[in-house]
Amino acid sequence: MEIINDLLLFLPATIVAIGGLTVMMLDGYKARSRTIYTTTMVFLGIALGVASWDLLMQAPELIFSDMAGAGGTAAFGTFIVVFGTFFTVILTHDYLIGVKHNFPQVYPLLMFCTFGMIVLATANDLVTVFVGLETMSVCLYALAGIIRDKRLGVESALKYFVMGAFSTGFFLYGITLLYGATGSTSLPEIGAYTDGGLIYWGGVSLLLVAFMFKVSAVPFHMWTPDVYTGSPTTITAYMSTAGKTASFVALVLILDRAMPFIATELTATFSIIALLTMILGNAVAMVQDNVKRMLAYSSIAHVGYLFVGLAAGSVAGYSAVLFYLLAYTFMNVGAFGVVAYYEKNHDVHFNNVESYAGLGYQRPIMGVLLSIFLFSLAGIPISAGFNAKYLVFSAGIEAGLVSLVVVGVLASAASAYYYLRVMVYLYFREGKESVSLIEPKKVYSFSLVFLALLTLYFGVVPGGVTEMIYGYFSDSMLTATAP
Amino acid sequence: METFFFVFVATFALGTALAMVLSKNTVNSALFLILHMLSVSGFYLSLNAQFLAVIQILVYAGAIMVLFLFVIMVLNMDEDEQIVTKVDFKQIFAVLVTVIVLAQLLYIVGNFTGALPDFSQQELMAIGTVEAIGDEMFTTFLLPFEATAILLTAAVVGAMLLAQKNVNVEDEIE
Amino acid sequence: MAEFVWLIVVIPLIGFLINGLLGLSSEGYRKQKSVIGWLATFAVFVPFLIAFQIFLEMNAGSEPVVVRLFTWIEAGSFTSDIAYRVDQLSILMALVVTGVGTLIHIYSMGYMKTDEGFYKFFAYLNLFIFAMLNLVMANNLLLLFLGWEGVGVCSYLLIGFWYKDMEKATAANKAFIYNRVGDFAFLVAMFLVFRTVGSLDFDVIFSNLHLFNGDIAFWVAVLMFIGATGKSAQIPLFVWLPDAMAGPTPVSALIHAATMVTSGIYLITRFSGLYMTSPEAMLLVAVIGGLTAIVAATIALTQYDIKKVLAYSTVSQLGFMFLALGSGGFVAAMFHVVTHAFFKACLFLGSGSVIHAMHHVEHELEHEGKHVHFDPQDMRNMGGLKEYMPSTYKTFLISTFAIAGIPVFSGFFSKDEILAYLFNAGLGEFGAVYYALWGLAVLTAFLTAFYMFRLTLTTFHGTFKLPGKFKGAENAAKYLHESPASMTAPLWILAALALVGGFMGVPEFFVTTFTSTDATVNWLYAWLSGVTVRAAIILPYGVKWTLVAIAIVVAVGATILAYRMYDNDKGEATDAAIRERFGSLYATWEDKYKFDEAYEAMIIRPGNRLADRVLAVFDVKILDGFVNAIGSIVQFFGSLLRFVQTGVINTYAIAFVVGVILIIGLLIF
Repeated sequence: MEIINDLLLFLPATIVAIGGLTVMMLDGYKARSRTIYTTTMVFLGIALGVASWDLLMQAPELIFSDMAGAGGTAAFGTFIVVFGTFFTVILTHDYLIGVKHNFPQVYPLLMFCTFGMIVLATANDLVTVFVGLETMSVCLYALAGIIRDKRLGVESALKYFVMGAFSTGFFLYGITLLYGATGSTSLPEIGAYTDGGLIYWGGVSLLLVAFMFKVSAVPFHMWTPDVYTGSPTTITAYMSTAGKTASFVALVLILDRAMPFIATELTATFSIIALLTMILGNAVAMVQDNVKRMLAYSSIAHVGYLFVGLAAGSVAGYSAVLFYLLAYTFMNVGAFGVVAYYEKNHDVHFNNVESYAGLGYQRPIMGVLLSIFLFSLAGIPISAGFNAKYLVFSAGIEAGLVSLVVVGVLASAASAYYYLRVMVYLYFREGKESVSLIEPKKVYSFSLVFLALLTLYFGVVPGGVTEMIYGYFSDSMLTATAP
Repeated sequence: METFFFVFVATFALGTALAMVLSKNTVNSALFLILHMLSVSGFYLSLNAQFLAVIQILVYAGAIMVLFLFVIMVLNMDEDEQIVTKVDFKQIFAVLVTVIVLAQLLYIVGNFTGALPDFSQQELMAIGTVEAIGDEMFTTFLLPFEATAILLTAAVVGAMLLAQKNVNVEDEIE
Repeated sequence: MAEFVWLIVVIPLIGFLINGLLGLSSEGYRKQKSVIGWLATFAVFVPFLIAFQIFLEMNAGSEPVVVRLFTWIEAGSFTSDIAYRVDQLSILMALVVTGVGTLIHIYSMGYMKTDEGFYKFFAYLNLFIFAMLNLVMANNLLLLFLGWEGVGVCSYLLIGFWYKDMEKATAANKAFIYNRVGDFAFLVAMFLVFRTVGSLDFDVIFSNLHLFNGDIAFWVAVLMFIGATGKSAQIPLFVWLPDAMAGPTPVSALIHAATMVTSGIYLITRFSGLYMTSPEAMLLVAVIGGLTAIVAATIALTQYDIKKVLAYSTVSQLGFMFLALGSGGFVAAMFHVVTHAFFKACLFLGSGSVIHAMHHVEHELEHEGKHVHFDPQDMRNMGGLKEYMPSTYKTFLISTFAIAGIPVFSGFFSKDEILAYLFNAGLGEFGAVYYALWGLAVLTAFLTAFYMFRLTLTTFHGTFKLPGKFKGAENAAKYLHESPASMTAPLWILAALALVGGFMGVPEFFVTTFTSTDATVNWLYAWLSGVTVRAAIILPYGVKWTLVAIAIVVAVGATILAYRMYDNDKGEATDAAIRERFGSLYATWEDKYKFDEAYEAMIIRPGNRLADRVLAVFDVKILDGFVNAIGSIVQFFGSLLRFVQTGVINTYAIAFVVGVILIIGLLIF
């Protein structure tokens, strides 16, 4: 039967959804939190296995009456999302126990959220995009508010919710206008439409606005620092990696499939957004004393670099964006993981950069790991972060955006300052009082070491992956028009 | 006739929406919102979407707004707590940008030149039926439809998480 | 043998990994200092042997050999390999890096003997060698850039090695940030190259140099040069180098004198073909080099910290090398890179030996119960050390002769070559400027000889001044002693090289004048002729000999003058006299031309102010103020209303709508 075939091709999402429901039921029967955690990990592990298989073996195909895709970019997006979730759950479990907020509902929510992300990253129709986006967002609203004895938690959840609802309105209106202009919600069918009437452009703009909000590009970013600071640290990692990846993959798909002919006309818009985002993100990150808040602003800055890739509007640009997302997932989950570890040892306010003084020598392994992740985030060579930035910027240059790239490179040079500042405190300052760090759990440190190795690995030999990503766009309409 | 109906419903919808925002009493606001929902279902009727019109009334006016009213009653909000306080620079600016964005959208919609698919009255009637919608839902739009189920479940779980009594979680020492 | 070139690069990495990982994980291993030290040394010495063997198998006419290890990045039309290039230039640099590196490793075993972070120091040193070799052996710009950044990181780690000292951590940061400014320009140059030729491989770039038409060539050249000014400490980015002396002295010798700081010169020499097509860029290089040379030389004149003098002298000598590059003397620049590596490394290690001894004195006095605190690097506390440290003195003196340009010492030949090229460039485009630069260079050469002998004489001649200056240090002299053999042996080797190293580049006219046939005495010139493009020297013999005579007169004159003014403890009196004579000019030198202050006032302070006043206010008033305004958690909906009243979420929404207007406006109009 066709539906069985479709479900098989959609297996990671199906497993995650069933897993979410199972875990929810377990909670209903008052299972121990350990059981819930283990079950979650089992389901995610299977999903990760299937997603890896899909990533390597599955040829691109459309499923569910062309509502979604499998293989190609869909498999890539699914893989990053499930990968990010897998490690997030490991870190989150430990972290939430540490800060005494280990609610059992967190696990089904994370699973449902992942399901939404997969739907979003595989979508081939604006309706699917919308449902996926909303599923993801609803879960994130709730997850942002876990820590409620800290005022910031509720504040961030509420703000995120109100602003999210606001942007959803624009998104829906955008879909409506696009439907009005093209008579379809399917991405390829919209893409076939070339006569850009005003309604069409209106639809495009509102759709882009909604995405810019979700990925927190300036000036739609204002919720980000609050939400990222208020959420539990590992959930912040999750939002900024898996969540952003899903949104960006969907955005790239929309650009590649639904708007291939207007890529050059979007360049100016994306360039301006990229410019604003890079400058503001980096400038504000620079004056932060709170490490978590610094990472939040720096994640805005990274969105700016990603928009350089989008502005290029070429196959090189889009594949650079996808590689960037992969690299960013490794290094950012890792960085937040170490921050969460330090925080867990004390209390949730242990985020000021000064309290990091001398910590690098306490648990050398954690200090080294954080340094690797920060180096990568700063874009120092032999790290995945450098290659990602390099690919994005070279795509920009190829597209003739020299001045934009110059600003980008300058901004990323400036970003070294605030990443290094953390390391200066870690290693070059004496701690004021003796802060003792308990030994991290084996699985916690192994996960982080694994992420660090991946960060370095993709710094040294990104060749295979970049080539694979490039192949996803081989049937792109852009390749036909590219010089 | 159709035009007259549209103008009537549209005026009503706009009026109730404005009244809802400007009303100082929260209960009144909620009641105006119900009226607004009703007028929107009027739009659906005029577009031959009978099923949607009924659902609109049942779900929004019936279920959701009743819940809203309960919440307002339970919280027992002070009537003096006004939403609009004083006019300051920020508000003027907010009104200004809203007007600009409204003008832009009106400009876009006003310039609509494309041709929508032309359906006969019979076809339109057929599209709006429960059967037609159900058929689409379970074939073409199966994936989004099922995903919506997860979305709603997630919303319930999320609400449970947020509504849970404060920090009283078993601390497993392992 | 050339196919094993990757071993040269990989072995130091292995050394780094072994020492780093074992040291990090095992307390016992950290105590095995001789194991750690020798392992690290061999991790550099073995690559030196391999490089030497490859060198022996090559000749001046050998074609470049490219060894590809694996594909690094591949994305559509863009590919970049991990590939190393063996040609006359890269093997020369590899020999210098591993050769001088080995000596400095041996020296460090003595110098760092009592340091707690012994294993870390050697691990970093090996990592540095690895990065530096990547820089000089790379076959494409991206890999070169990787090494370029890598040496920056290592330099950062090593300057801040004694991180507990606040000032040293700051110096490390300063070095890193100034370097990043340069790196940014280099990166943009790289993008431009890629855009022009569609590849970053050296072979492709060099065979497509014609694609760089005037403007592109100029901009690529200028941007690369800006990159070089960061790494090689030229105006306006040179201020980090003197501060970088905060690191351990072997680090100053290896990284901040012999190798890393010359990478800018290497880069420009690599791209000599490109530079020759843009006379304007060449002029810029020469002018910046000339200015840096004279500015740094005048500052060096006023310093009392023995390492600071050497640091400014390095900056000044690097300026000399850029003068050579700017006048088309690429081989001359490389020649000076090599000889400078010998004598400057020797000078730094010698100063390290002196500092080591002074520290020892302080330590022993402490032991005696006398708490005397003095600056062990201040040369006013020294004097008369030649009695106590004969090896250090002799080697230091030889190197001083070399840097001063006294005939037959290595510095004489390389400096003379640079002056000849400068004068020669005076015949071409922008001739007047080049003549002026030549004058500046001669003046700098005079100052160089002068301040170097000021340093040597004040430190080693006369009487030991410490006992007279500090109470309790009366019998300090008895604690002075020569450094151990592990430190003096490298000094002697380097001094020997500084003495004879010049003979690899004896100017051909020395011979042809008399034989009137072609001579091939200039080995270096022949060796590098295949890999560099250079200007032709068209000066007649008479002019050439006159230039040599002028150089000799200047060097010897400055030496004699310095000897009269600084020998026999006249140092401080002389300095006072000079200060009086030159007045405010001297003050400017002493204040280092206020570069740091200018940057502070122009960039750092306005930047902070912007951040404090605008961004922080934005953050505090709007975002944090909001946090304070939140009600309790019970009033969930109540606080929702309060959000609206404080207007903050409104702000977010307003920003959002402004964004919507922007996007719609951009797309529909």
